[in-house]
Order: sequence, then structure tokens, then C-alpha cells
Amino acid sequence: MSGEVLVRLNINGEDRSLALAPNTTLLAALRQHLGLTGTKKGCGTGDCGACTVQVDGQPVNSCLMLAVAAQGKRITTIEGLSHDGELHPLQQSFVKHGAVQCGYCTSGALMASKALIERNATPSHDEIKEALAGNLCRCATYPRMLKAVAGWKEFEGQPLDAKPHAHAERDQQRDHDVVGHGVTRYDSPDKVTGRAKYTADIQLPDTVVGKILGSPIAHGLLKRIDVSKARALPGVLAVITGADVPDEWYGVSPAREDEQILAKERVRYVGDEVAAVAAVDEATAERALALIEVEYEELPAVFDPVSAMAPGAPVIHPEKPRYAGNINTRVDWHFGDVERGFAEADLVREERFVGNRTYQSPMEPHAALARWEHHGDRLTLWSSTQTPHYLHRSLSRVLGVPMGNIRVIRPAVGGGFGAKAEATPLDFCAAILSKMTGRPVAMEYTREEMYRHFRGRHKQYIDLKIGLKKDGTITAAEHKVVLDGGAYTSYGVITAYYAGSMLPTLYKIPNYKYEGTRVYTNLPASGAFRGHGVPQPRFAFESLLDMMAGELGIDPFEIRLRNAMEPNTRTGNALDVSSCEFIATLERARATSGWAEKKGKLPWGKGIGVGCGGFVSGAGYPIYRSDFPHSNAMIRVHEDGTGVTLHIAASEIGQGSDTVLVQIAAEELGVPYEWVWMADCDTTISPLDLGSYSSRVTLMGGNAVKMAAQNVTAQLREVAARELGCDPAALTARDGRIFVKEHPSVGIDWADAARLAFSRKGPVVGTGSYSPPKKLGGEFRGGTVGTSPAYSFSTAVAEVTVDVETGYVTVDRFTDYSDAGTVINPVTLHGQVEGAIIMGLGEMLLEDTVVGANGAFVNANLHDYLVPTICETPEIHTAAVESFEPRGPFGAKEIGEGSMLPVFGAIANAIHDACGVRVTELPITPEKILRGLKERVAAGAPAGARA
Amino acid sequence: MVMPDFTYVRPDTLTDACALAARLGRDGAFIAGGTELIPDFHRARESARHLIALDHLAELRGIAADGDGLCIGALTTVAEVAASPLVRARFVALADAARAIGSAQIRSLATIGGNFCRAVSCADTPPAAIAGEARVRLAGVSGTRELAAEAFFLGARRTALAPGEVMVAITLPAQPASSGTSYQRFSRRKGAALAVAAVAARVTLAGGRIAGARIVLGAVSPAPLLVTLASAMLVNERPSATLFAGAAEQCADEALPITDVRGSADFRRELVRVLARRALDEAAARAAEWRS
Ligand SMILES: Cc1cc2nc3c(=O)[nH]c(=O)nc-3n(C[C@H](O)[C@H](O)[C@H](O)COP(=O)(O)OP(=O)(O)OC[C@H]3O[C@@H](n4cnc5c(N)ncnc54)[C@H](O)[C@@H]3O)c2cc1C
Ligand code: FES
Ligand code: FES
Repeated sequence: MSGEVLVRLNINGEDRSLALAPNTTLLAALRQHLGLTGTKKGCGTGDCGACTVQVDGQPVNSCLMLAVAAQGKRITTIEGLSHDGELHPLQQSFVKHGAVQCGYCTSGALMASKALIERNATPSHDEIKEALAGNLCRCATYPRMLKAVAGWKEFEGQPLDAKPHAHAERDQQRDHDVVGHGVTRYDSPDKVTGRAKYTADIQLPDTVVGKILGSPIAHGLLKRIDVSKARALPGVLAVITGADVPDEWYGVSPAREDEQILAKERVRYVGDEVAAVAAVDEATAERALALIEVEYEELPAVFDPVSAMAPGAPVIHPEKPRYAGNINTRVDWHFGDVERGFAEADLVREERFVGNRTYQSPMEPHAALARWEHHGDRLTLWSSTQTPHYLHRSLSRVLGVPMGNIRVIRPAVGGGFGAKAEATPLDFCAAILSKMTGRPVAMEYTREEMYRHFRGRHKQYIDLKIGLKKDGTITAAEHKVVLDGGAYTSYGVITAYYAGSMLPTLYKIPNYKYEGTRVYTNLPASGAFRGHGVPQPRFAFESLLDMMAGELGIDPFEIRLRNAMEPNTRTGNALDVSSCEFIATLERARATSGWAEKKGKLPWGKGIGVGCGGFVSGAGYPIYRSDFPHSNAMIRVHEDGTGVTLHIAASEIGQGSDTVLVQIAAEELGVPYEWVWMADCDTTISPLDLGSYSSRVTLMGGNAVKMAAQNVTAQLREVAARELGCDPAALTARDGRIFVKEHPSVGIDWADAARLAFSRKGPVVGTGSYSPPKKLGGEFRGGTVGTSPAYSFSTAVAEVTVDVETGYVTVDRFTDYSDAGTVINPVTLHGQVEGAIIMGLGEMLLEDTVVGANGAFVNANLHDYLVPTICETPEIHTAAVESFEPRGPFGAKEIGEGSMLPVFGAIANAIHDACGVRVTELPITPEKILRGLKERVAAGAPAGARA
Repeated sequence: MVMPDFTYVRPDTLTDACALAARLGRDGAFIAGGTELIPDFHRARESARHLIALDHLAELRGIAADGDGLCIGALTTVAEVAASPLVRARFVALADAARAIGSAQIRSLATIGGNFCRAVSCADTPPAAIAGEARVRLAGVSGTRELAAEAFFLGARRTALAPGEVMVAITLPAQPASSGTSYQRFSRRKGAALAVAAVAARVTLAGGRIAGARIVLGAVSPAPLLVTLASAMLVNERPSATLFAGAAEQCADEALPITDVRGSADFRRELVRVLARRALDEAAARAAEWRS
């Protein structure tokens, strides 16, 4: 009875017939059989909505519908949304409202919105929430989606341009032509049409599919692997095990290279990679994995750092004696004298805080595609990565191929948040399998495999002690952290340093001691997640500060103002803060949120709380020792002068860095935003940038781009000066013209100058590069981590409602002020802050990976690991305070990661204000709140009222 | 995981569908919306080799008035149930339960029959339907039969369906005069999430006193739980906060919750207490506003 069936579908108005196996989902039919890759796969189980299409007008998850079940039906996909080259008003509205970041959820969200407006052309926010509740957006563009869907009609019959939307964003600046304006994102037109290609969308002829076999046990020795049955399966092209891969140890952190592509002797967590296959299709590859026979000698495993450090605990990396006791990293810092500081204090309190092990869960699963060319000695790897350079370097080192023979291409990336900041086994295995088979090899993680590979947030066990004077002045802080690292290092050494280095940048702490210990356990490795190592210590600090302010009877804002960092300060741990408008963020947030009328005065169950944060604007040092500039850019002017191409291998992963870099280029060149093309992020085309991590691209990439543009402008001024018979220094370039500053009517077209320059001396190219100031940081071990050319600051006020009967917390409102330096693009800036607030509330209230008895996460999916939906969106007011950072391009700093930091404390403090419960262990679940309420009453507090 | 190979057959008549299913036995499975079946295939929880699609069986579709009651075809999507003015007017708890399911995308595929027949303990529509004395109509090779909805559920993922039997419809009798219903549900987030605990209630008033009550718990026992002791406590009493709090307490006692990743057994019991009280409050208020 088996075999293919003929399925007739009407797709975007066209009748199509396909011969399909009955188990083909509609999603697979669209993507694989029809090449309509605008419809995305984020989970395959109905939980994310990325695959939404309309079937006879209804929105459905195409991953859950069999193609045969759609027989004879009318299917509309994202590719069918625009007509005759005109965007649908919804698509325009998404672009103009900035409702697109990484874009991976966008086609699904648009299709769900379209189904809604066909039924209800003027939906309310509540109706939009109900219709889009199943469209997860990890970038959390939800506030903008709400506006975009509600306001779609405004765009009927309008052509698309890049101009800022009429309801201009706050913080729009007037003193520049492009910088400071909320121009539409560079990448959004392609993302709203489904044209943007993510790694898994790239379809090369003859491609085969690769899959990895993970260990089913958390700790054990490999006794025997037999792949003969797998190899013999028809359709299997290659099977590899540890014996077939280089012996090289690797890891993104050169100080601790402790990973191997495939296990050679030992597996250290459930999912540790053991073997990989390449086969003609995914089903065959999976069948082959099932035929691989592996015999393990199971060893005792440990799943928490305390047990892992106990005497006699199983040793996770026995081949490396330096990790005795499963200690991966130890940090010991002491600045000033904490004993003296505590002795001087009027109030000393110590509290334990425990974080959660959250996962970035970007909507796009990791993917890699490898192909060898040029007689098989050159590798091209497309990868969903935030750090093409570190990936490039790891590939070169592990495979023993010079970097010059490897071409890394970063296509569109559907979010990363730190999860995609290093080479993955997919990258390595795709490369090796492609070499063996002579065919392109495509690999992808399933949602479950993403959780297994992990690299999410470290669970931290924090003992924090603070000393305060009666007036609230901080005299000392002692901060002890144990980080659960999982089985490998990943970024963890740096995490352990960051967890300590960032506390003293926000408040002045004269005496500070930090003890950090990162411990190996038999769990998936933790890594760098937005705010890298800092959010949990920041949560602890902001919570304890509020608790102590309460004891001293000082207002939470007052205590923060009393200790707030000021500009041009060297912190106790030798970090140089230059620009700092922290105090302004505090004052503005206090005023706008209506703090004075609300704090302690809201009805029982409603609360308000403040939290603050600050972060680096790019790490002062690269992850491996190198003298290369951190960011490098090249601008080439098109021969006829009507456009320019910007080359920089920076990584747009949704945060908007391409847009910001294009704006900086346009501003400095003096041409319209629309003139600038962004060249592909391809190592054979664009020069090195270290990548999207440590919130570095705006400042570092921006400086490199600005310098490249200055270089071009200098060349054109030279040419123009000759034409005009004046001094080049008297000229300026603006809006497509080069003219005499003092006499703007005297000048020539920018394009004419460019054409002349090309005619006279060939290609007009400018280059620029950026290295942070040399010798940042103190002369102690780890003194480099936390250094940065500049620091951001922010204050957030949360307002919450606690259902005191069920413990359910609703975040009603957020007011956030940031010092991000000059705002390059207010739309992308506020988009980042909103995204961080919503992601942060997810981490505070919903998210945690749950470890099962065997050491695997039991909720490695999007229906039990709950991330915020559009229904969780609070009312958000964000703004930037006026600030100028001399080291940043046009005065800019960062926003992407720093915006995460004030969120945790604000919510925790608001919950306490609402119901008197202080939860110190994340996430703050309803269950913990109910327990807290009971304990509170048992301790004598009045039920149903503040003490 | 990639789904295993299976065949897909689309019978044109109910008789053919039943005959085929009876012949295939465990190798066959009916497919309606597929929102349970497809993920279960991916998770290797479903092993049928042959799928029998029900979508050509027109008699399984649609919502119709049945006297003052309702007849809802098993193949009706939960989106249709949620949007139906008729369901909302005659049995609001069911409309609310249907509306609480998953996302808009899930609701436009998911059928009410599938919600019943997979018999997952946190399914939303069964408790609401049972509170309204729903019956299920089943058809098999040897004919048709009807069953009280509460008797249909035998345990987690276990129903009274015999091999080859199809659920044709769910019927709701006319609701007693001066009755009101409510469906209360708790989930960990507002958007698209499974219930951690749920309570459906129907309260019938007569002369200021409670003439009858039906309370059904969801997600806190292997199958929807009609709590008889708590319901009995209410009869002949005047509605009051104390009365409902006492009944809610009794509901919590009768619940059989487990601890899983969505919540602990203790927390679920606590939730039952709160949700039951809220459901009784709302149902009684609606009963007081009854207009026939
Ligand atoms: C992301 C997601 C979220 C969800 N959220 C919820 C939720 O919040 N609440 C909730 O209750 N459910 C939820 N579900 C579960 C599911 O959507 C519902 O149970 C749905 O109603 C099942 O209907 P279906 O038509 O899709 O069933 P199918 O998958 O087609 O069938 C389910 C089972 O019932 C059998 N069956 C179906 N129809 C008949 C019939 N007429 N006669 C005999 N047997 C039949 C099938 O053989 C199969 O065993 C969710 C599912 C997903 C994927
Ligand atoms: S891919 Fe279909 S819902 Fe996630
Ligand atoms: S824009 Fe929605 S997931 Fe990135």
C-alpha cells in the first residue's frame, strides 16, 4: 500500500501537482519540493508558528499538516503575499514599524496576521494577541507587531521607501542626515517577503543530509562502535566516528580547549556527539543513526556543581589534570579591603541567590552547509553563526586547512543571543562529510538537539554580601559565585570573569572581593547568553540592595543615586568608565514611571520596582591573543558614482547591525542611506570583524566603517577641490553633494566627483579598521575581561500584578532609560530594549531547563520550555538619555546586551513590592510565590496586606 | 525525528472507514486534524502504519441545534466551536474551553473529536463538555452507540472506543433552566500553553438555592474527573463565598494530581482550590442572569 501519491495543491494562485510520500508534511512539500523557503521551520511540532501558511484562508502550522491532507486546497505562503512587485500593506507596516529583527518568525507572523485581517480588518490589540499567540518571536518584536497589525491599513497603496515612519520614534536626532534617524532596516524588505536566505534555505544541487548521533548516557567510556550496518544501508554515503576525525582538541576559548568533534574515548553528557552520517535524505540519515551500534561502559555522573566538587566525585576530564576536582576555572579577586569595608558599615547583609539555566532558543535552528571545490582543497561553509571569524579559525585549526583555503559565509541568521557564537559539531561534521562524499552536505539541529548542544546561560549559585553606611553608601561587597559549566568550557572561562567584573561598573564599590568557580558537570555546556554572566549577579545585587534599602528606610532610587557611577572614573577593578549618564537614566526613569505616587502605595497585589544595569560596548580583547584590528571595513564606490558597497564581515543576527553600519557609512560619506549596499558576510569578500558578541558591532564596526568612509571622502574631496579650484579642507560632503562648507551653493555632485576619481586613478576604495585602546585593564589575572572602550548604563522600572491566589505574575508596564551614547537608529535601539525586556521577563518568570534523572533536559522543546509570547507583552516606554561617548562612532555605545541587565532586578523588586515575597531562586514561578506568601503569614505578616 | 512511512486512505463513507479501521486494528489510526498524531509520530509515540483520514465524512462535521441542545460533529475544528455563536449562547464553558486551546493555527486544524479521542489528561474541551452532561456518539462496524462523556474516558490516553469505532458527534442536552457554566484554567503563560489545572462547573439555581451542580476537574487526574462529593455539598444550599470555598476545598481533596514539568502535585491541588471557587462563582453568577 506504500508509495507516493499525487497531491494537487493551489499554491499562491497556481495549480501544482506533486508526487509525494504520504508522510510528507505541507511544510516539507513547500520548502523541499517547491523551493518555497520563505516558510520557515522552527520546531516541527506546532509550537513556534514559523511555518504558518493559510489553507483555504485559515492559518495553520504547515509542519503539522500532511501535504495529502491539503489535497485540492488553496494554500497561501509568504511568497504569495505581495503582488506585482508591490508589498502587501501588512508587509509595509511590519517594515515601517520595525517589527522585523532577525526575521525568522516574520513570514509566519505575517501569514497569521493576514488570516486575521481578512476576518477582521480593524483588530484590537487583544484580538491581535489572540491571533498571534502561536507565533513565537525570540527577538520579541511583539510591541511592534501589535502596532504594525493594528495600523496596516495606513499603508494601503503606498510604495515602500526607507524613510522613518511618520510616528517618528523618540530620540530622533536632527543634527545628522542619516545617523540618528529611524530609517527602515536594511534587511527588512527581504525578510518580509521571505526572500532572505537563511542557511537551511540554501539549496545546492546534489546536496546530501548529515546527522549526528548523540550519546544516550551522561557519562561513560566508549567500548565499541560498529557502523557496518549503517554503512550498508542503501542511500548512506558516509559514516564517521571519533576514529575518523582529527585528534585536535578545540574550543572557542584557547585557554581551555576541551572539545572534540566526535567522542574518541569518553562521553560527558547526554547528547555528546559520537558519530555522524551523510545520506541522501533525512529519513535515511536517521535510519542509519539507529543502525550504529555503540557499547558504553557507563560511569557515575554528576548534575550539579556542589556534588561535582565533592571528594570522590566522578572526574569529567581525567586526561587533563589541571581540571582536578572538576574545577574548570577559578577566579580570585580582591580590590581594596573588604574586611575593613564591612567593619565601617552600619548594615551588613548576606544572601544566597540561585539562577536558572536558561536557553537562548533562537527561532532559527543552527544549520551548516559545506561544499569542497577546486579539486577538493577549498572548503566553503555556510553557517548560521554570530562569529564567522572564530568559526573560520576553529575550522582551520581543527581541520588543518589554512584559513586562506576556507571560505565562511554567514547568510541571514535567525537570532543567536550567544547560542551561535562558536563553531558547532554541525560545522565540523558537514565539512568532513562533504570532503568524504564529494557532495555538498547540509546539516541542521532539531529543536531538541539545540537544547542538547545548549551553550545557554550558566546556572549560578551566588553568595552576595554587601556593607552599607546608614545613608546607603556602599562600603564593601563580597561576591562568591559557583557556576555550573556543564561538560565543556565553551565561553565559560570568560563567563566566570564577567560574573565578577561587571558589578563595580554600575555603583562605586570601594572594597570588592570576588571569588568565581566554574565547575564541570555532566550536563550540556553552558556558554554566553545575552548579558554574558552578568544578569544573575546583577539580579542578586539589585535584589539585595533593595532589601537593605528597605531595612534602612531609604528609597530604592535614592540608594542607587547615592552610589551611582560617574563619568571618567576608574573602577576598583581597574576598568575605565568614560561617558556615563547613569544618574540621568535614574532620574528620568523615576520621573516618567510615576514612582513617587506608586512606590508602596499601589493596592495589594500590584507592585513597582527598579533595577539597573550596565555593560561593555565590545570586549577590550579578542578571545584569542591576536594583534589583528577587531573590526575592518572597506568601502568601494561604484564606477559611475551612484552607489557604494560596504564590505565588513560583521554579523547581522537580528540586532540591526547592518542597518547601523550602513547609516554610519552613508552619514560619513555624505550620501543618502539608499545608496549603500551591504556586501555579503563572506570571508572572501569582506574583511574580518570579530562578530556579534559582547555588544561590540556598533562601536567597533562603526568606527572601522566611519574610518573607511572618511578615507573615501578624502579622495573625493581631493578630486572635487581640483574641479572647484579650492582647498579640499574647505569642502564637505552631504546628501549626495560635495560643496564648500561656507558657500553651500558652490559644489559638485557626489556622483560626478566619484566618476572623475575613477576615471583618473581607477577603483575608489577606502579602508578602515578599529582596535580598542591598548593596555586596557589591570595587571592581574583576568584583568582583561570586562575591559571595553565604553560602558552603557540603564535603569528600568517594572510594574507587575501578582495574582495572590495562584501566584501568577503579569508584567503590566516597563519604563526604561538607557545611556547608549548617541542613538544611531532609534527604531532598532528601542527594538533591542523592548526585546530585552520581554526576553528578560521570560527568564525571570517562565524559563528554566529541567534536568531529568538521566541528565537530559526533560523540557527540550518549545511547549514545555516556555518563552514569552505576544500575550506577555507589557506596555513599554523606552527612551535614551542624551549622551556622547568620545570613543564611539558619532558618540555611540551599545544597547543589545546591556538592555537585558536592569530587567531582572526591576521585576524581582516589583514582585516584592506587590506581595511582600522575595524570591531569590530563579525563575520566580507562581509556585514559589505561593510558598513565599504562606511563609510570610507564618512569620507573622498580615495576610492580604503589606507589613 | 522524521515520521515513519505510512499510507494514507480517505474513505468516502463512515461504513468504509469503520470497516477499514476494524481490519487494520493497531496498525491503523484515524486522522482528523493531526495535531496530536503528527507530533506523536515525531516523538515515536505513535506507530500506526496506515492512516485513515476522516475528512471526507461530511456527517462528522458541523454544529447544529438539537432542540435546545447542541450536536457538534467530531470533525468540527475547535476554532469553529470557539467562534460559534450557538455554542457560546447555549454552553459558554465549552466555547471558552475551545478558545483556550493552543494557538489560532492549532485551533484551525484541531478537531473536537481529536481532543476527546486522544484522551490526554490536560485536554480542554472534555471537562467543559462533561459539566454540561455531554454524550458522545460512536459508530462502529456493528452500529452506533451513545455514551455519557464521562464514561468515554477510561484513563490517560485510554477511551471506550472499540477497534474500528469512530466518534461521530458530541451532543449536549438542553441545559436546565437557571443554570450557568464556567471554565477556569491555569497555564504558565498567557499565550498558547497547556493547562496545569482546569475546572469546569455548572450550577443550577432554583428559588435562590442551588438545585444541582456539576464540577469537573481537568489536568489533575488521568482522565477528566467529575467530582461528586464536592458537587453534592452544594445542593439545596444558598450560594455564598463560604459555601463555594468549602466545595473548592473538597475539589482539591478529590483531585489526583501528579508532579511534572508543568507543576507539582501540591501546586496543582492549590490551583484546583482557587479555580473551583472561581468557576463556581462565575457559574452561579451566570445562572442568576439566566434568560430562557
Ligand atoms: C502546539 C500544540 C498546542 C496544543 N495545545 C492544546 C491545548 O492547549 N489544549 C488542548 O486540549 N489540546 C492542545 N493540543 C492538542 C490538540 O491540538 C488537540 O487535542 C486537538 O483537538 C486534537 O485534534 P486533532 O483533530 O488534531 O486530532 P488527531 O491528531 O487528528 O487525532 C488525535 C487522536 O484521536 C483519534 N481521532 C481523531 N478523531 C477521531 C474520531 N472522530 N473518531 C475516533 N478517533 C478519532 C486519532 O486516531 C488520534 O489517535 C495542542 C497541540 C499542539 C500541537
Ligand atoms: S515549525 Fe511549525 S510550528 Fe514550529
Ligand atoms: S524577529 Fe522574530 S524571531 Fe527574530
